[in-house]
Amino acid sequence: MVVEYAYAIPLFPLASFVIALLAAHFAPDALPKGGALPGIVAMGGSLALSAWVALAVAGGATYDTTLYTWVGGADLSFTFGVLVDPLSAMMALIVSLVAFLVFIFSLGYMNDEGETGLPRYYAGLSLFSFSMLAFVVADNLLMAFMFFELVGLCSWLLIGFHFREDGPPSAAKKAFLVTRFGDYFFLVGVVAVFVTFGTGQFAGAESFPALAEAVLAEEPATTYFGMGAQTWFSILGLLVLGGVVGKSAQFPLHTWLPDAMEGPTPVSALIHAATMVAAGVYLVARMYGFYLLSPTALAIIALVGGFTALFAASMGVVKQELKQVLAYSTISQYGYMMLALGTGGYVAAVFHLTTHAIFKALLFLGAGSVIIAMHHNENMWDMGGLKEKMPITYWTFLSGSLALAGIVPFAGFWSKDEVLYEALIHGFGSAGGLAPVYLLAYAMGLLAVFFTGFYTFRMVYLTFHGDARSDTARDPEPVRWNVKGPLAVLGIGAATVGLINMKPVAELTGAHIDFLHKWLLGPEEGGWPALTSTGLHHYEVLMKDVAGIQSAYPLGETPTLLVSALVSLSLAVGGVLVARSLYGGPDPVEHTDRLGGMKTVLMHNYYQDEYQVWLAQGVTVPLARAADKFDQGVVDGVVNGISSVSLFTGSRFRRIQSGIVTNYAALMTLSLVLLLVVFVVFGGVVN
Amino acid sequence: MAVPMEYYLLLSAAVFCIGVFGVLTRRNALLFLMSVELMLNAANINLVAFSWHHGNLTGQLFSLFTMALAAAEVAVGIGIVLVLYRNFEDVDVTKATTMEW
Amino acid sequence: MTTSPELYRGSKAAGLAAVALFAVLAAVFVGAGFSGGAGFPADVSITASIGYLLFDFPSYASVGGEGFLAAFEIIDVVLVAALVGAVMLARREGGDPLSVEGGEE
Repeated sequence: MVVEYAYAIPLFPLASFVIALLAAHFAPDALPKGGALPGIVAMGGSLALSAWVALAVAGGATYDTTLYTWVGGADLSFTFGVLVDPLSAMMALIVSLVAFLVFIFSLGYMNDEGETGLPRYYAGLSLFSFSMLAFVVADNLLMAFMFFELVGLCSWLLIGFHFREDGPPSAAKKAFLVTRFGDYFFLVGVVAVFVTFGTGQFAGAESFPALAEAVLAEEPATTYFGMGAQTWFSILGLLVLGGVVGKSAQFPLHTWLPDAMEGPTPVSALIHAATMVAAGVYLVARMYGFYLLSPTALAIIALVGGFTALFAASMGVVKQELKQVLAYSTISQYGYMMLALGTGGYVAAVFHLTTHAIFKALLFLGAGSVIIAMHHNENMWDMGGLKEKMPITYWTFLSGSLALAGIVPFAGFWSKDEVLYEALIHGFGSAGGLAPVYLLAYAMGLLAVFFTGFYTFRMVYLTFHGDARSDTARDPEPVRWNVKGPLAVLGIGAATVGLINMKPVAELTGAHIDFLHKWLLGPEEGGWPALTSTGLHHYEVLMKDVAGIQSAYPLGETPTLLVSALVSLSLAVGGVLVARSLYGGPDPVEHTDRLGGMKTVLMHNYYQDEYQVWLAQGVTVPLARAADKFDQGVVDGVVNGISSVSLFTGSRFRRIQSGIVTNYAALMTLSLVLLLVVFVVFGGVVN
Repeated sequence: MAVPMEYYLLLSAAVFCIGVFGVLTRRNALLFLMSVELMLNAANINLVAFSWHHGNLTGQLFSLFTMALAAAEVAVGIGIVLVLYRNFEDVDVTKATTMEW
Repeated sequence: MTTSPELYRGSKAAGLAAVALFAVLAAVFVGAGFSGGAGFPADVSITASIGYLLFDFPSYASVGGEGFLAAFEIIDVVLVAALVGAVMLARREGGDPLSVEGGEE
């Protein structure tokens, strides 16, 4: 069965990493394209294998096995293993597809532009692909954590690729440190999960979500540190959420992503749009059976997601550089996914993850094509009129922008609409405190749709329409097939991938075309075998029974669906029209001054960067200094004190050794006298 | 009339303590060695006294051997005093204090 | 100006330890009760007996005792070693044995 070979999916890029590394060190001339060809071949192999595995999964196969035990114990053991189920098969397919296209694109972006140090670049890309794919197929939390960290390392390596300039190394450091801050909480969460459940497995009867469910089902539930089981599980979920927030660039740990645009554009496309930032959201989806047990965690996820969506979209409207707009757009769209996961829209979240990977990678690669043409000038105010000169780039970019803005029938419409719809109906139907939270998050997400449409088309109009505003724009550098090919593939994908789950059409016509829903639900609507316990059917049961999320249709089922779709579509179209009116003419000007004081706040990104620097310098450094003083004064002081006592007594005692023999003899005589007296008084040894 | 044992032992203790006094207070190395000789001979007196007390000649034989040992020890001791003089210019034992802290 | 030779130049305080030692020993010896000594028979030759016992002939000795032949041989070796050691310590380096130079000053 091919699913048993799923472990080979990450191993192909690992092999190409090793080849690139060895060749770079020992035989730099052996690789004509600096390591691109092994990478392309490896990713092609991964892509083919992922597709094959996905086909097998569609036929009902799943796979959950432990491959290697690196610490084997009686109670606790740490293993490497592979879990193949619908979610991981789909994610592996997406990751390998985007990585494959990025490798081809890099031939045009890096090789043709004459960059140096290419083996290091391709080695980094291959290592990243390996770690991301291994993370996707990981079967336990500790292995997922390890590869989570490894993708962070590769991100640092690749952002700081041009390390001889000032910007990239600093941005790489910032990315690594901010995500590492979140990962600290993740690590504490991993340890806590292992301590609580004795295992970190994601799926199966012995997995920690299943154990947690069993604990909650029994009456009375066991207590942990004096708090109830559900409270403790919420805490565990929130700890792991720390890493998710960092890696998926949600508020407040979003500050690294815009700076990460210092890396080469293919890196931004692969890592900071489609895959690495998806790792956080994927982790929540992977552990969804566990998160569903704690409504508190779900509410927080929904709030964070909704708020981030609005927050980042508001910052994207004033940016002047092409990649910055896309970076804030990425933060905002991942907010939508978190919103979906928090409100119980599992299918919507996975759907949006898929479509976003396609169209955001497309947009970034399109931006890369524009950047090549503009000789690496990213400022949109120097562009303009590129529509006629770069037709393929323009049409594919337009396809991606329509998808991002959420205009029917492009992919983003279907997925974003489903996210908002699920938030709406669960907001009306759920019990207790969840309802107002969901509705608030829904409102924030809905408002962000308007901003999304606006900034996306502002970007399109400024870059491609109007008259050229600089000489470089009048005479752009042509790009070759290795740039246009991936763009074309992704452009078609952005237009068509929405077809996998067109829920409104399915509801209206009664046709069973919600393929993704069926894929996640399982064969013959019966749910996946209980072996994996990660199927949608199981999640739906948990949602209703434990989390208290239910659906309510204020206007009836189909009308609610249509009204919600119309509202989000009209907001998106409204944003597009406003952008067209402001920036659509032949000679657009900056309108940001009209925002007044808001402009300064937005340009400074709500002063989040300054705030974090102040936290580090004003709060952490004094604390660290105090801790250091305690360590050196008290802890070291005690040890030094003991040794100084011994040194002092030694220096006093040794004066007995005066070198004068008669003194020694006197001491001996005195001791003899004393000994004799003792023997006389106490009668000696033998009584 | 036999001399009581206590007198012999007191004599031996007295000679021994005179020897100890000399070891503790003398500064000339040769006088130091003479005091050591006194101590050895006090032990010999003790041995002979107890040999008479038990009626056994082992004590007297033993004291012969200690005398031989005393002679050997004096020979080597004089050699050491000679080397001491060569290194420290003086036979004063309080002057040779280099083996100190 | 000359001074009369001093009888004794060392410190006398350290000698108190010796006096204390004598006090303790005397107290012990006087306090111990000794019965009468056995003594030696009047007419035998003590010296001859010592000689016989020195060479492990207890049957010829008139007065009892132990044999000391092994100790006799060993003390012989010890005396030779002491002589050799004393000569080695007193040796001067260089020069013929009767000159006044050589050795350390």
